[in-house]
Amino acid sequence: MKGTILRGSLSGGLEVRLDIGENIEEIKVGTFCVVEGRSHDFFSMVVDEDIEAANPRAFYENLSDNPLLNEIVRGTGIIDKVKIQPMIAINREEGRIQPVKSIPSYLSVVREAREEDVFKIFGRPDPTHFHVGSPLDMDHIPVCIDLKKFIERSNGIFGKSGTGKTFYTRLMLCGMIKSGLCNILVFDMHSEYGWEGEDEDETRKKAKGLKQLFGSKVAIFTLDPESSRNRGVYPDFVVEIPYRSIEAEDIAMVWEELNLNPTALEVIYVLQKHLGQDWLCTFLNMDAFSIKDFAEATGSHEGAIQALQRKLFKLQKLPFIKENPADDAVERIMQYLDNGMNVVLEFGHQRSMLAYMLVANILTRRIHELYVKRTEKALGGMRENNTPLVIVIEEAHKFLSPDMSRQTIFGMIAREMRKYNVTLLVVDQRPSGIDPEVHSQLGTKIVALLTEERDIESVLSGVNNARMLRNVLASLDTKQQAIIMGHAVPMPVVIKTRTYDETFYRDITRDDDNKNWVSHTAGRLTGVSPLPKVDQEEELPPGKEFEDLMKELYGE
Amino acid sequence: MMAIGEVIESTTAEFTAEARRYDQVPAYGSFVKVRDGNILIYGIVSGAYTGSMDGVSKAKAFFKSLEELKMEQPQIFELLRTEFSCVVVGYEEAGRYHPYYPPSHPGLHLPVEEADDLEVLTISQYLNYLDKTLNDPSGNGEELTAAVIRTTARLQTDPRAYVIKVGRELLRIMNYDTQRLKSVFERVDIV
Repeated sequence: MKGTILRGSLSGGLEVRLDIGENIEEIKVGTFCVVEGRSHDFFSMVVDEDIEAANPRAFYENLSDNPLLNEIVRGTGIIDKVKIQPMIAINREEGRIQPVKSIPSYLSVVREAREEDVFKIFGRPDPTHFHVGSPLDMDHIPVCIDLKKFIERSNGIFGKSGTGKTFYTRLMLCGMIKSGLCNILVFDMHSEYGWEGEDEDETRKKAKGLKQLFGSKVAIFTLDPESSRNRGVYPDFVVEIPYRSIEAEDIAMVWEELNLNPTALEVIYVLQKHLGQDWLCTFLNMDAFSIKDFAEATGSHEGAIQALQRKLFKLQKLPFIKENPADDAVERIMQYLDNGMNVVLEFGHQRSMLAYMLVANILTRRIHELYVKRTEKALGGMRENNTPLVIVIEEAHKFLSPDMSRQTIFGMIAREMRKYNVTLLVVDQRPSGIDPEVHSQLGTKIVALLTEERDIESVLSGVNNARMLRNVLASLDTKQQAIIMGHAVPMPVVIKTRTYDETFYRDITRDDDNKNWVSHTAGRLTGVSPLPKVDQEEELPPGKEFEDLMKELYGE
Repeated sequence: MMAIGEVIESTTAEFTAEARRYDQVPAYGSFVKVRDGNILIYGIVSGAYTGSMDGVSKAKAFFKSLEELKMEQPQIFELLRTEFSCVVVGYEEAGRYHPYYPPSHPGLHLPVEEADDLEVLTISQYLNYLDKTLNDPSGNGEELTAAVIRTTARLQTDPRAYVIKVGRELLRIMNYDTQRLKSVFERVDIV
C-alpha cells in the first residue's frame, strides 16, 4: 500500500489517496499502515475504503470501452481512497511512543507497516510479550500481547458461537502459563482445556489441552471422575463440595435454575440465620413436622418453606455435593496454586448451568476471601504478595448480568479484585448480557466476529474510536480472526491468530533454556488427596505451608 | 537544415510564417524552431492557410485535374502563398531547454526550420506544451492537442506509457473533465 494524505481530521480519521497503480482490492480493512509525517510516524489502521471522483461527472462517463482512457482516469480523475485511523504516534527522533494528538501534514507519505513498526508498538516476542498472531495480510510479523498488563486487569473474550472463543482462550492460557506470571484457575464447563479439546480443523481433529502441553505445571480437577476416565484423562483431584460450604448467596445466584421466587430467597436467609453453617443439610433433612415447628418459631410461611425444600432437593441430585467429603477442594486448589501450578476444573457431565454456577461461585468466593486476607497481610508487611490469579469463566453473562453482577463474587472481582491480585478472564458469546459496569472494567478484550448490533455496541463501550472499529468488527472472518483492544495492547489490533498446531506446541513448550517442560506422562490417577508432585528446582512461593493454609482457611 | 518558412508576424504566444513554397507546409501539430540570436524558439504548427498572393482576390476554380492545370496554367501557382501559424512552447538557450515563453518574441523575417526528433523528444518531456495547445487561440485546442500528442508519442520508446502520462496531465488541466479528455483521445490512435 502506497499513498499520500489527502485530507482528514483528528476526530474523523484521515483519508489517503492511493498512488496510481495500487490495487485497492488488496488492501483490507483492519490492516496496518504508517504515515510518515514530518517529525512523527503515525501508526494507523485501515478502517474504511471508498472511490471518489475529483469531478463527480466522471462517474457517469462510460470509459469502459476505451482501455487507454480507463487507465488514464483511474488514479487521477477517479481515485481510490482509504480511510485510516491514526492510533499511535512515534516521535522519530526520540523513538517515543505517544497517543495521537495531532495529524500528519498534507501529502505525507503512507506506506504499509513493516515488521520493525509492529515491534515498536507491540514489542518483540519475549517471556512477557506473548505472540498471539499476526496483523492481517502480514502473516510473518508477530503481534504480541503484553502479558504483565493483561493479567493486571480482568479481561474478556467474546465472539459468536463457532468463532473460536475456546481457541483464543486456550491460546491466552498457554501464553500466561508459559510466562509464569500468574496462576490460572479454569472453570472448564465443556472439559476442553484440561487434556484435549475438539479442533475444528479436519486434518487435526484434536487440540492438545494444557495438561498435555505443560505437564506438571497443570493439574486437572474434576467434578465427574467417570467422564474424565472415559475420555482417557486421569484427574489429579476429584472435587466434592460439602453442603456446609453452600451459602444463601450461592443459592440466590442460581435462583433462575432452581426456579426460586423472591420469597423463597428471603426464606433461605432466615434458614441460614437460624440453622447456622449446616443449614442446607439440616433443612433438606427436615420432615413436615420440623418444618412446621421451624415456621412457627421463625414466623415464616410453612407452605413457602415446603416449596423451597422441594426445589432445593434438586441439589441432592448433584453427585459432587457431599455431606462429608474426604477432602476440601478449595484447600487443595490453593495448595496447587501456591505451588505455582495451574488448575483446570472439568465439569464432565455436570455441565448444567446449575452445577457450573454453583461450583464456580462457591470455590471462587472462598478463594477470594483467602486472597483478600493474604493481600491485607502483605500490606501489613507480614508476607509477600500473592502470585496473581486469573480465573476463567465461561457463559459469563450468567454470572455478570446486570441483575447478578452486584451480588456474585464475580461481579466483585471484575470490579475491584485487581487490588487483590485476582482477575477474571470471562468468555462469552453474548457480551450484551454482561453488566455495562463490568464491561467498563474489563482491561483487554479479544473479540471475534459479532453480528448482533447490541453485542457490538457493548464490547465497544468505553473504547476510543469505537465508530471506526465497528466496520472492522463486522467484517472479521469467522475463523482465526479477532480484534484485540484495551489495556494490554497499545492500540486496537486485528489479528489472524496463530494456528494451534504442532509448530505452536513446539513453540509453547520450548523452555527459554531449551529445557522441555512437558513430562509427557498423562496425569496421575490420584483420586482424592495426595499432594502434587512439584519440580524440585522450582522455588515455592511463600505461604504455602500446609499449616499456614489451614490457618488461613479456617482461622486459628 | 533549410528553412521551410520565414516569420512574418510575431507575438509572445504565437508567430506566423510564410512557407517557402505554397505547397510545402509543415505538418499540423509538428514542431518548428526559429533561431533568434542566441536562442532557439520552439513552436507547434497550429494551422495553415493558402490563398492568393495579394490577400484580397480569391483563387478561381477551373475544374481540371492538377496535372492539366500545371500544364495549361502554370502561372496561377506562382500567385499562391501559404502561411502557417505556430504557438510558442519554449526556447533553448546555451544548450538548455526552457519550457516557457522566451524573453522576447521572435523577430520578423527570421527563418523557420523543422525541429528534429531529438529536439521534439526533449520538449515532449515537459508536459506544459499541453496547456498551450489546449488553449490555442484559433479555437481548435482539442484538435491541436490530439495532433501534437500523435507527433510526440510516436517518438517515444514506450508510446502507450507516454500517452497515459500525457492523458493524466491533460485531465488535470481540463479540471478533471473526462468528457473533454475523451473527445481529445478519440483522435489519438495509439493504443
